[in-house]
Amino acid sequence: MQHVITHGPSFAMLRVDLSPGETVVGEAGSMVARHQSLAMAVKLNAGKGRGFFAIFKAFVVALLRRIIGRETLFVNHFTTERGGSVWLAPTLAGQIVHRRLNGELLLLSTGAYLAHAGDVELKLKWGGLRGLLAKEGFFFLGVTGHGDLWFTSYGGIEAVDVNGSYLIDNGNLVGYEGNLKLSIKSAGGGLLGLAASGEGLVCEFTGQGRVWLQTRNLEALVGWLSPMLPR
Amino acid sequence: MHVEILYRPAHAMARVHLAPHESITAESGSMVGMSPNLALQTQSGGLLSGVKRLFGGESFFRNTFTAPDERGELLLAHALCGDMRVLEMTQAGYLLQSSAFVASTPNVLVGTELGGLKSFFSGAGLFVLRATAPSPGLLVVGAFGGLEELYCDGNLVIDTGHLVAWDATLDYSLGKSSSGWLLSFLSGEGLVCHFRGQGRIWIQSRSAAAYGKEIGSLLPPRRR
Repeated sequence: MQHVITHGPSFAMLRVDLSPGETVVGEAGSMVARHQSLAMAVKLNAGKGRGFFAIFKAFVVALLRRIIGRETLFVNHFTTERGGSVWLAPTLAGQIVHRRLNGELLLLSTGAYLAHAGDVELKLKWGGLRGLLAKEGFFFLGVTGHGDLWFTSYGGIEAVDVNGSYLIDNGNLVGYEGNLKLSIKSAGGGLLGLAASGEGLVCEFTGQGRVWLQTRNLEALVGWLSPMLPR
Repeated sequence: MHVEILYRPAHAMARVHLAPHESITAESGSMVGMSPNLALQTQSGGLLSGVKRLFGGESFFRNTFTAPDERGELLLAHALCGDMRVLEMTQAGYLLQSSAFVASTPNVLVGTELGGLKSFFSGAGLFVLRATAPSPGLLVVGAFGGLEELYCDGNLVIDTGHLVAWDATLDYSLGKSSSGWLLSFLSGEGLVCHFRGQGRIWIQSRSAAAYGKEIGSLLPPRRR
């Protein structure tokens, strides 16, 4: 399996070339084009469990993701017996980043997942109160296993290697490595700082590991655009 | 005539160099700047073709810019952020996604046609434009996002929201992305175009409809 990311950083698009027998999984709605030799199958976007209960649970989890996290219920599996390519792209203007997973855990903000291949498992992680406060939804998407992961952003993606502590605005968070600890803070310190700095709440990462942030904030765009609309 | 594309890929603009007495026809509203010696003529080509053009996602009017006895210059841009491309007219001509048309030399005939009966359900791509020319000419197209040229060897399936233009040598049919309507809906892919034959296809890396839906769903509802 080979892949190439073109048209970055503003309008990145991913092409994955599949050899016979290989599979790549993409977020529903992300397909731009594919060779006819690739078959597309729609599947529930959760877990690998078998049996009725597992499927039911997967459905509920997927539904929650849909409602809370602006994410899709379903993913598309692209498989091929003869080989061929599929082109995938996210909806918003932004970049695509590839990450080769070797058993570690990555946590992605809602909307950041684009595609994966190989023995990779996607699981919803309860973000707890901190997830609620950080407006990242209640959930992060936990990605672990051995294989390829492609994730996406609104704007460019900057990787920050944290050694100690680092602060990121909640709306700019794309994802982080699972060995980092996340806590929610007020950027200015205390209530006044929260109100006066205009920075709202920030995510503090402590430990050692990598964080990805996006150079634009969707909420900021919506906040700017909304008052401009005709009444 | 010579056309160069500047500010690629995110904010492309076409600079058209017109020789004396040359003209170019451009989508209404696409003019960014022009030398003062150009003559501007607005045409709808008759009410019917103007209305058809509206259905095609274009504006009612098109403007033709003509240089006098001396050279002139015209700057053109597409409404959305993205790349532009100059295509040389071929014998077979091109088919265009309705909003991709930016400009063409005056010998290019641009007509609206129904893109297959199935497209009635798609909402998008109900009409496509067919551009043909009896002699050499140029066609300028604009995209939302990056532009990529693919070669179809009888085997490509493309999401309708990502189509820009394709060689008219290709056969195309609109269809579901999966085997059933329910699965197609769930897959989020909506309608796709199946291409057969040999030819080039230009795709855009973003779908304006999908982008509008995503941002639109976050905006406050309009008050009536």
